[in-house]
Amino acid sequence: MSSAILFKDIDQPGLNTLAVYRERGGYGDVLRKGLSMPREALVTELVNSGLRGRGGAGFSMGKKASFMPKGTMDKYLVCNADESEPGTFKDRELMTKSPHMLIEGMILGAYAAGATRAFIYIRGEYAQMADILDDAVAEAYDAGLLGNNILGTDHSLELAVHRGAGAYICGEETALLDSLEGKRGNPRLKPPFPANQGLYQGPTLINNVETLATIPHVLGMGADEYAKIGVENSTGTKLISVSGHVKRPGNYEIELGMSARDIIYGLCGGIEGDLEVKLWFPGGSSSPVLTKDDLDLAYDFDTLAKAGSMLGSGAIIVVDEETSVVDVCLKLAKFYKHESCGKCTPCREGTQWTVKMLERIKSGQATPMDLDIMASVQEQITGHCLCVLGDAMAMPVGSMIAKFRPEFEAYIEEARQRSDAELIASLDAPNEAPLVGSLV
Amino acid sequence: MPRPEPQFITFSIDGREVQAPANEMLVDAAKRGDVEIPVFCYEPKLGAPVGACRMCLVDIEGIPKLQTGCSTPVKDGMVVHTQTKRVKDAQESVLEFLLINHPLDCPVCDKGGECPLQDVSFGWGGGKTRFIEPKRHFKKPLELSPLVAIDRERCILCYRCVRFSQELSEDYQLVLHERGAATFVGTFDGHPYVAPFSGNIIELCPVGALTSRPYRFRARPWDIENSGSVCTLCPAQCNVAFTVRDDRVLRVMARDNDEVDDGWLCDKGRFAYQSVHAEQRIVAPMVRDGGVLREVPWARAIEEATLALKKSGGRVAGLAGGATTNEEGFLLQRLVRDVHGSPHVDSSAGLPRAGLLAMGDPALQATVADLEFAHTVLVLGTEPVDDMPIVDLRLRKGVRRNRMTLAVATSRPSSLDPNAVLSVRYAPGAEAAFVAALSAAFYGGDVDTPARAAGTDAGAVAELAALLRTSGGDEAGDVVVLYGERVLAGGEAVTQPLLKLAGALGLSGRAGAGLLGIPAATNGRGLREAGVVPDAGPGLAELATAGADAAGIAASLTAGDTTVLYLMHTDPLRDQPQRATWDRALDKATHVIAHAGFMTEGIREHATVVFPAESYAEKEGTIVHPDGRLQRLRPAIGRPAGVRAAWQVLDELMRAAGVDTGLHTVHSATRQLFESVPFYAGLTVDTLGGKGLRWWEDEARAAAWPEPAKPGLLATVASSTPTYEAAATPNGALRLGTFKSIWASPEVEASPALKFLHPTQRVELSPVDAERLGIRHGEHVTVGGDGASVAAVAHLRNESPAGSAFLQSGIPEGAANVLEGPLVEIRKAQST
Repeated sequence: MSSAILFKDIDQPGLNTLAVYRERGGYGDVLRKGLSMPREALVTELVNSGLRGRGGAGFSMGKKASFMPKGTMDKYLVCNADESEPGTFKDRELMTKSPHMLIEGMILGAYAAGATRAFIYIRGEYAQMADILDDAVAEAYDAGLLGNNILGTDHSLELAVHRGAGAYICGEETALLDSLEGKRGNPRLKPPFPANQGLYQGPTLINNVETLATIPHVLGMGADEYAKIGVENSTGTKLISVSGHVKRPGNYEIELGMSARDIIYGLCGGIEGDLEVKLWFPGGSSSPVLTKDDLDLAYDFDTLAKAGSMLGSGAIIVVDEETSVVDVCLKLAKFYKHESCGKCTPCREGTQWTVKMLERIKSGQATPMDLDIMASVQEQITGHCLCVLGDAMAMPVGSMIAKFRPEFEAYIEEARQRSDAELIASLDAPNEAPLVGSLV
Repeated sequence: MPRPEPQFITFSIDGREVQAPANEMLVDAAKRGDVEIPVFCYEPKLGAPVGACRMCLVDIEGIPKLQTGCSTPVKDGMVVHTQTKRVKDAQESVLEFLLINHPLDCPVCDKGGECPLQDVSFGWGGGKTRFIEPKRHFKKPLELSPLVAIDRERCILCYRCVRFSQELSEDYQLVLHERGAATFVGTFDGHPYVAPFSGNIIELCPVGALTSRPYRFRARPWDIENSGSVCTLCPAQCNVAFTVRDDRVLRVMARDNDEVDDGWLCDKGRFAYQSVHAEQRIVAPMVRDGGVLREVPWARAIEEATLALKKSGGRVAGLAGGATTNEEGFLLQRLVRDVHGSPHVDSSAGLPRAGLLAMGDPALQATVADLEFAHTVLVLGTEPVDDMPIVDLRLRKGVRRNRMTLAVATSRPSSLDPNAVLSVRYAPGAEAAFVAALSAAFYGGDVDTPARAAGTDAGAVAELAALLRTSGGDEAGDVVVLYGERVLAGGEAVTQPLLKLAGALGLSGRAGAGLLGIPAATNGRGLREAGVVPDAGPGLAELATAGADAAGIAASLTAGDTTVLYLMHTDPLRDQPQRATWDRALDKATHVIAHAGFMTEGIREHATVVFPAESYAEKEGTIVHPDGRLQRLRPAIGRPAGVRAAWQVLDELMRAAGVDTGLHTVHSATRQLFESVPFYAGLTVDTLGGKGLRWWEDEARAAAWPEPAKPGLLATVASSTPTYEAAATPNGALRLGTFKSIWASPEVEASPALKFLHPTQRVELSPVDAERLGIRHGEHVTVGGDGASVAAVAHLRNESPAGSAFLQSGIPEGAANVLEGPLVEIRKAQST
């Protein structure tokens, strides 16, 4: 692909080693150039590139770095490698195959943020990637790329890889900080934002793996060049993880602004069994679903937001026409119920209520009126929570009910008839198993 | 950190212009405009808001999403709406969520009727539910501890209790287990939650999830009345509200007074009310007859006491304990001094008048609230959690929230050590040498010699001096020295260097800095101000003839120079050192007249006349807080039939001796006291009000503090050379230190709920000494010296300094005062 930046050499054997990474131009002029620039100039460069956070919120990376206060206090850079949004697996490939790209990005990111200590918070399940990162960090230390006076400059950076313990909520930046500090991973109240009071109360810049890994490339080609890629407000390339009922699932690097149809039918070769798309999540399981009518939308931040969804982490999950929307909905709600930290009321109670209602629909004990309650519960969650986890369930579930209400209603009716039939059958056969399931 | 000065701003709430201090949280600021925003998790006492319950969502113009009022600081020109449809919908949503898993068992819930969840549901809820799924279930109710029951189904997970345990009392026991809807509160290791302040979580809980086990099912809110008074079980004198049903105290709750207790209570204060209605309480007068104390009618007891006093021919001594009110103390010294002409009155103040005047100088006084805002606090010779528990929370708050620097100088390891920047240990009994060394470090004198005598390291003393000197950045900041008055036992040898130190730190006349002494007993300060000291009358007025102090009284009794001892709420065998000496002295006395609530050893063995004492819930009068706050005790319940007020008894005894006391009610005693103490001039019980009043904050009253005999003691001490005794060298034996646990009191013994906490003797020693002696942790040992010995369980503490052993005092059997010290030996107990 011509547009590949991050994935240009990704399949180069041995890219995870320092030698091969250097051969391919890593840790070279770009790093030297970046570290010789004044900090402000580097931040300006990042702002001008239009690079937006790749983790989900899509906030301008440069602007976030510019919020870091000046002064001599301890400042931190934290790389959010807790890639736990269902459907997202791009950072995994990046870290497995090109860990040094991330480290180089972090050296530059830390310099831009004025931070001298950095952490990679990686999800516990990524044990293999954590080992790869550990090796890469050790190599970088040995080569003088980490530690004191990197490449003879005044910039010093201590970098540590920290493994999470397997909670989705620890991908939320403030919960991540609590977890990193050794506490229970619960989101913190914002404000104060991490840029003011983050890790150990110090100013902290938190960015996603992909965002940080992009920094060397932005510097390498220059902000203005980088900004020419993509479309307005969504510059550059994006790693997308496509999963679900497509013929060729996987990670792809696309230029932002490409149409969804080109991704699903072009890159991924269409739907298995040549079925129709029923619905698709454009940006991970937290994004409100879109339908086959939305396939011609351009895949960029603004267009998707206008369509009522979001680009999120860039994880496209495609569901074909033969899959029940109720099953998708329940699977999703169960995940969020399981991962809710329990700190704030709407998320804790709303997620489990939603699951209980969906399970009742499945067991044939529901009426269409329950759909109204379920829709209203989603509204009651949205915007009322401490962090975005509650919204992350409420928005896709709400969108599914809104867009597929007739299917829900049909399902309710069918399940009810099935359950009634089972009940009658069990009454007809009194010596069979005791009467459980449908009445209890 | 000095206290911040509030700056007022104007904001608009529901169309009203309201003034509030800038950055006050919206929930609090709204109240100034008579707008209530409902909350559950928000509790300012717990520190920074967490915004977890989402009940307080409000609409702020210019911010797209609803904001939590508990965590949004109010700004000038802010426009807030709490009555819009959007806000109402949000409030109803949150309440609906909170109630879906709540059992709604209000009719059988202890909290019903005084439950914030009920109130908020009623005021802001939608009043209906759409939830038809099965509710969340937990096993219930469970004992979280012997004092607290937990019902996890009622819990709304505001996690106030967890924050209290983690961030206030710092016992780190309560945590949230699991996550999401399965979250529940429990201790980390599943053990019972036993801690000195655990009961506060009952009051913090906004639902019926945490309830008091002693109060469970005893009353409903419409059966009870709350009656405000002051807890007199320790010098902290926390303001409490007694819950009364049918003239019985059923519960004690905090009556928030930020200047005294910050709204918290210790478990002793919260649960020892049970002793008020305990069976073992003395509720009838008694007279020793044929060697046995027998109940008698009041007239007989009064007659017996009158006769005894008369026959003594003035060879009378009076001793008052900490629970004695100002009025009782004042009348006791009138009875002994004015009526029977004996000078021997004491309340174990431990210092001669000159020392009391110098240490009590109004210009040198610090307040409890100063502990929180000072730059540095030096805790000297006291364990706050035992001696004045609520101050422990205040110090932790100062360190945690206001970046106060804490230094600890004690002989026994302190529970505040982990919070302290510096902890210095000295040998038990070597306070004088230690303070001399510290003072010398300031004035450039010889530090080494006194430091060595104190069994401490000169380097550590110098470090402490440097810390105090630079606490305010480049200069000495606001320093508060919180000292246990036990350290003053060394007399001038301690007070002089201590005052010198105060001079060096510029504590005199400095707001927010000064000295704060913790008396050995509750009303220690009030009693000395009322004249219950050997060499000073009411108002610490100089006396023509000085009497004997407590030790002197014991000697005088033994020698037969004094024949009648009048005990006011004290048992010398419990409260005084040298138990054997006192045992002999009491034996020798012809009459021991005692006001007592419980039959402790000394009373049982030696009293000849016993007047039943009022409990603190029945008492009326005034007491003085260690920081000079006069507080009023008000009776919550009536006295049991056989009990009379102590002031009445004293009045009758004086009248029987032919003196017209001019007393009609306890208030007339208060008036007499206030009139005879110059620095209480102009005060009445009404001016004290519900929250008391620090008398020295009024300039005229402060000016009425008597001048010491030697004017300007502060000036003269600088030139005098301090003298001190060197601490004993262990030389194979161990130095004896003592401590009194928060749980060592007759009230705890008599309270069924607290009985499990009542301490038995244990000896704390360092693992180094234990290894030398071949003693293991938990082993039964005998601690002895001078022919006497006590049985104890060895308790090894890593932090304990080698060469010292610590025993408990104030317990009924085998207390530390059996031993005379200063050295003891420890042996394995003989197996029998």
